[in-house]
Amino acid sequence: MLQKREKVLLLRTFQGRTLRIVREHYLRPCVPCHSPLCPQPAACSHDGKLLSSDVTHYVIPDWKVVQDYLEILEFPELKGIIFMQTACQAVQHQRGRRQYNKLRNLLKDARHDCILFANEFQQCCYLPRERGESMEKWQTRSIYNAAVWYYHHCQDRMPIVMVTEDEEAIQQYGSETEGVFVITFKNYLDNFWPDLKAAHELCDSILQSRRERENESQESHGKEYPEHLPLEVLEAGIKSGRYIQGILNVNKHRAQIEAFVRLQGASSKDSDLVSDILIHGMKARNRSIHGDVVVVELLPKNEWKGRTVALCENDCDDKASGESPSEPMPTGRVVGILQKNWRDYVVTFPSKEEVQSQGKNAQKILVTPWDYRIPKIRISTQQAETLQDFRVVVRIDSWESTSVYPNGHFVRVLGRIGDLEGEIATILVENSISVIPFSEAQMCEMPVNTPESPWKVSPEEEQKRKDLRKSHLVFSIDPKGCEDVDDTLSVRTLNNGNLELGVHIADVTHFVAPNSYIDIEARTRATTYYLADRRYDMLPSVLSADLCSLLGGVDRYAVSIMWELDKASYEIKKVWYGRTIIRSAYKLFYEAAQELLDGNLSVVDDIPEFKDLDEKSRQAKLEELVWAIGKLTDIARHVRAKRDGCGALELEGVEVCVQLDDKKNIHDLIPKQPLEVHETVAECMILANHWVAKKIWESFPHQALLRQHPPPHQEFFSELRECAKAKGFFIDTRSNKTLADSLDNANDPHDPIVNRLLRSMATQAMSNALYFSTGSCAEEEFHHYGLALDKYTHFTSPIRRYSDIVVHRLLMAAISKDKKMEIKGNLFSNKDLEELCRHINNRNQLCFLQAAQHSQKQSTELFQCMYFKDKDPATEERCISDGVIYSIRTNGVLLFIPRFGIKGAAYLKNKDGLVISCGPDSCSEWKPGSLQRFQNKITSTTTDGESVTFHLFDHVTVRISIQASRCHSDTIRLEIISNKPYKIPNTELIHQSSPLLKSELVKEVTKSVEEAQLAQEVKVNIIQEEYQEYRQTKGRSLYTLLEEIRDLALLDVSNNYGI
Amino acid sequence: MAGLELLSDQGYRVDGRRAGELRKIQARMGVFAQADGSAYIEQGNTKALAVVYGPHEIRGSRARALPDRALVNCQYSSATFSTGERKRRPHGDRKSCEMGLQLRQTFEAAILTQLHPRSQIDIYVQADGGTYAACVNAATLAVLDAGIPMRDFVCACSAGFVDGTALADLSHVEEAAGGPQLALALLPASGQIALLEMDARLHEDHLERVLEAAAQAARDVHTLLDRVVRQHVREASILLGD
Repeated sequence: MLQKREKVLLLRTFQGRTLRIVREHYLRPCVPCHSPLCPQPAACSHDGKLLSSDVTHYVIPDWKVVQDYLEILEFPELKGIIFMQTACQAVQHQRGRRQYNKLRNLLKDARHDCILFANEFQQCCYLPRERGESMEKWQTRSIYNAAVWYYHHCQDRMPIVMVTEDEEAIQQYGSETEGVFVITFKNYLDNFWPDLKAAHELCDSILQSRRERENESQESHGKEYPEHLPLEVLEAGIKSGRYIQGILNVNKHRAQIEAFVRLQGASSKDSDLVSDILIHGMKARNRSIHGDVVVVELLPKNEWKGRTVALCENDCDDKASGESPSEPMPTGRVVGILQKNWRDYVVTFPSKEEVQSQGKNAQKILVTPWDYRIPKIRISTQQAETLQDFRVVVRIDSWESTSVYPNGHFVRVLGRIGDLEGEIATILVENSISVIPFSEAQMCEMPVNTPESPWKVSPEEEQKRKDLRKSHLVFSIDPKGCEDVDDTLSVRTLNNGNLELGVHIADVTHFVAPNSYIDIEARTRATTYYLADRRYDMLPSVLSADLCSLLGGVDRYAVSIMWELDKASYEIKKVWYGRTIIRSAYKLFYEAAQELLDGNLSVVDDIPEFKDLDEKSRQAKLEELVWAIGKLTDIARHVRAKRDGCGALELEGVEVCVQLDDKKNIHDLIPKQPLEVHETVAECMILANHWVAKKIWESFPHQALLRQHPPPHQEFFSELRECAKAKGFFIDTRSNKTLADSLDNANDPHDPIVNRLLRSMATQAMSNALYFSTGSCAEEEFHHYGLALDKYTHFTSPIRRYSDIVVHRLLMAAISKDKKMEIKGNLFSNKDLEELCRHINNRNQLCFLQAAQHSQKQSTELFQCMYFKDKDPATEERCISDGVIYSIRTNGVLLFIPRFGIKGAAYLKNKDGLVISCGPDSCSEWKPGSLQRFQNKITSTTTDGESVTFHLFDHVTVRISIQASRCHSDTIRLEIISNKPYKIPNTELIHQSSPLLKSELVKEVTKSVEEAQLAQEVKVNIIQEEYQEYRQTKGRSLYTLLEEIRDLALLDVSNNYGI
Repeated sequence: MAGLELLSDQGYRVDGRRAGELRKIQARMGVFAQADGSAYIEQGNTKALAVVYGPHEIRGSRARALPDRALVNCQYSSATFSTGERKRRPHGDRKSCEMGLQLRQTFEAAILTQLHPRSQIDIYVQADGGTYAACVNAATLAVLDAGIPMRDFVCACSAGFVDGTALADLSHVEEAAGGPQLALALLPASGQIALLEMDARLHEDHLERVLEAAAQAARDVHTLLDRVVRQHVREASILLGD
């Protein structure tokens, strides 16, 4: 302590406006230099990352370069970067928190070879600012001085390149010290990285956009938007309640006009506003972009507007607004932006004709973002013509108040428009998912398992773990062809007659050490992404598909939970947690397990484990297995009943599976069949998750990662209640129990789809389930509404979710704590855990990134579109289907098509103002007339007196077609062709409802896909199954609620679609 | 103060110190001849001056006299030019009164008041941009200088809490950022706490760590003050021509 105080006290003065503040500044002889060449590593006391030793030079960017070219410095190819503290502070002060955080994350990221040198705290590097010296000059001087010191500190062994944009500095310092070179950034890239094309392009693009901006600021335009208020005013205004803070959400269907501000935390509590605030028009939105944190001022009540209820297409501009809007709601205008959440946007260049019409300045081009909610972006490039047919990534630089559109620059090309790879890449970028293959350093940490050196259970581990290989019958039930089996089950009778239920989860944490490279990578990815035809793994395949996958017949490490249950009442008597070694005896798939459960033993031939056995032992083993599955189902029913008693919800989801034919074209969309065994497995997993949650919360009350599902807002249920009333049902939404009960009662015996629709509406009203750290939340908020459990977490899928890995580590620490052993490694503190939860939630969920779920939805839509694209709607019989009306708007209805699980809008009034009418043969035509909307019906009356009425829950026949779009993704379009339910031709009926035929179809498709696989190396069938498993429904919040129940709780109420 | 990063990822505070490090302390005893005891202390940019009169007879109202011990009377005032905006009144405002009261509590705990019944000890402290800690430390030295018997030194230090790390000896910038702040006056030899005060809310789980940081810093202060006292005694004895 005492020695460290031997510092010179220096007073540094800043000349403020009126005020002179004196701040202390302490210097120290030793600041960690993070260089492997350091002569006194002991004194420098390095902790954290070091620069790598295999670089040819170190590069020190000056403050200006760090500010302007940070994107280029982020390239992993650039190595040995030393950020000086002076430069970092300049970024912090001049570029704001967002850019600074980007820099911080870069420094924290172990994969990037860059460090921060705290030059201002180093005795010899620190230079006081001289009188009259400009800030910029002083910063450059400090950085240069530090660079020279660093060079000498490394004993002149490593040349240092300082890059700067300041010509004077190059002149002044360029030849001052041997070994320290001062050059411009452009020069640096040209000389040292001539091959790094991407960096050069990015550099050009940044330079150009900066030049543009400079030019522009000289020209003085009339102002298009009011200026934003300064930050102090905003903060004071929020505190006093004059302004309201929230996140801007642009309405996708009326991006030009409507946007809503969702209130954030504190501010919503104080004010009595319950709903969102409407921002009407681009002027009021005042340059904020979807996802920004904005500050809003409410308009006086007489200027409040209602949201438009009419259906509206994206391309038609203000047409719909003439119709009567709904009740006025709080309306406001944006007065300032607190945080800009700009990301990379995918855009499309205008086609040739449009370019010419844009006229005089061909260098500035307005490009259309793929996301409807983002305004057009103006970029300057000379490559416009060559980039015409490509999807391109751009970044927004600025949005001046003088300009109608924001300015941006071109970053990179993704792929051709309409090309599958390009479109998938688009979806990935739009959801901020990066999918770089695993690096060599990461793979080096992985255990080896090749035919030459197979992986074995190590003797030390064998001693530490409980061996269940001989004593337990362990088996897994998964979708067919599943590669990453992370959960297995076991059940047996104990000597005292009680039952023992075991859930065994792959021990991923044994292979993934905390803070190893692979751990960091997995944390960034947070989850495995399943797209319609591919997946991006969280862990390398050697783990996910091999060593951590609990395959049949091989020894694997596991983390087990075993309950002792009473033989009759199934009450839980005891529970045991710990690490084990297991050998899964059977790898069953759902269909086979269900057949066994139903007593149909003919499926045995499908189970490979039984093939090589003789008749007798086969019979014995089979009986054992059937008993186990039966018992398991029994227990699961019991547990489920108990949970139902507390009000667990069973909600509706529409599952569709994409079938590909041999040419990888989409063959059919088939709804998924639910089985009881799905529910059994899910129930066991919920039980395991619940008990683990209890355990880790007891051991670590302030730093356990749990999952909560807050109860929904009552007002979101109003639509559900209205709809149910139309059918004569009453839905009681006061608690999850009453909701579950009344949903069960709301069943129309003639039309099972009514119940499904009601359930899906209930789902849409739900809040999102979230991960959280127990330290940040009161205990009563831990409750899981959907599952009706007081504590819940995710434990059972460590291969595909990072949260489960964290929970595994917590559980292991809890076990060693119980044994009074030292806890190995550091657990996350509450704060770190909170940050991690936020990251995972973002990755998973419906914050504005919505990454995993949203990308799945989009990719499915892509596939749906591709499916219908090839079909000619006029002739193809499949394009005509039955639809159910589930919501009514002023100029159309929203339809649900059970056959394909599609939800969409159909217009009753077309663009020319004609309305629909149905003749005696019930075929529809367009005729002049008018529409009249009532509470739960809509009537279309033609001028010649005919009228047709559509009620809520009416069945109609629709034609599905595709609306192609150049800039955006294609959309599905529905058209009502008859007001009578669709009669399915007999052939199709048989085809659809016969399970035998269907399973054959599945086999056929799978087989053909397997062939394609050899050529493609993409294991489509597996992915397809995965996709079937993880593919979520179209309802937005449904996913989040149901993902815990994973594939299974998505129960279809009816299996007979279309009847 | 949204943008200010109080503790960087590398573990440095705004002024370059690490979390547990104190600001530079310089102190001197016996700065005024006419007072019984006096001391001057500089903790970073905070400067405090303390003078002690007494023990002497009760001045003013005799009714205040205590039969079994001495009355400790503390007054605090800050220089008008010491804070960001110039103050109108140097003392007598709420803040000064509160500070005076706190000082009094602290020193009643430390001074062996029962040795001087029916008498009064006056401690006047003046501080620039004063903090409680600097005042206590200055007053301790002044009381020692006056030769008033005490149980022990009273050493005070503040501590804060940022990003899960306890920071010892807060500077003005760190105080102004508005996080939790804890002031601790410690009798270092016995480890007894003379006064503990906390502003803002802090989760009880963290309290122990912050308290430990403050106590450690107070013990460090003690080593320094002890050195100052010994230095002073040595100088005094040389002057006396021992």
